Amino acid sequence: MFKELDPILHSQLRLAVMSLLISVKEAEFTFIREKTNSTAGNLSVQVQKLKEAGYIEVNKQFKDNYPQTTCKVTPKGIEAFENYVMALQEYLQVRKQ
Amino acid sequence: MQDEKQLTEAESLQLITSMISKAKNDYVDTGIAALMWGSIITLCAIATFCNYWWNIRWLDNIWWLTAIALIPQLIISYSERKRKKFKTYYDEAMGGIWLSFAITLFLLTYYTNLYNIPNPNSLFIIVYGIPTFATGFSRRFTPMIIGGIACWIFAIAAMYVRFPYSMLLTAAAAQLAWFIPGLILRKRYRKAKGQHV
Repeated sequence: MFKELDPILHSQLRLAVMSLLISVKEAEFTFIREKTNSTAGNLSVQVQKLKEAGYIEVNKQFKDNYPQTTCKVTPKGIEAFENYVMALQEYLQVRKQ
Repeated sequence: MQDEKQLTEAESLQLITSMISKAKNDYVDTGIAALMWGSIITLCAIATFCNYWWNIRWLDNIWWLTAIALIPQLIISYSERKRKKFKTYYDEAMGGIWLSFAITLFLLTYYTNLYNIPNPNSLFIIVYGIPTFATGFSRRFTPMIIGGIACWIFAIAAMYVRFPYSMLLTAAAAQLAWFIPGLILRKRYRKAKGQHV
């Protein structure tokens, strides 16, 4: 029986955001937007969904008089990401057989 | 990138790999700090070596330059941190290693002056090798691995060479550990910057 793929992570932009955040400690919103090649509006919606799922933390502050948003993956997010990758590997192994 | 596009399993794995590598390759060190420290230590060591014969009084204080250089170092660290749009756990670990290196050097200077240890250069060069090798090893940056190992080889040599000639080994260690890797980093940074423009 296959594990079901986490629907929160199984979408292109949310998975890209999580993959980016998993390899760093924290990242600015502008950095994520640049690397995922997405629009600010679209990214905001997906970031909000990840935040509501408890997978990431979003901090808003001011830096040099400009608003700055930083995102950080939570322990729950790390666990969900690991489970997602394991489930993917299972699928791919079965396909190979 | 679309938000709700459904991915196949292979596409998902490919996306994960590509995003991780994007984060990994985004930041290139400017090399300025390595160049600065490589130059200062070389300058101080060669000036001390020459002053053995010149006997210029104020040159005895040349090593104070390393304390003064902490000011530009703080400015460099601040501006590099500002330039970087993300933080990694690796940055924190490296920051801790170089900070402990600075504290060790300060204490070692105090100790060697307190007990008036003759020809302490070997001790200093051993310490130079630690953060250099650690940085090179964790970054897989061969010039710094070579620099770190060179420091330890020069440290052994310095045990058998009398002052002021041991100062030449200090200068050589600074060149291999910081100045040359700094030049390589600078070249890479300029190349990466050119690609981004």
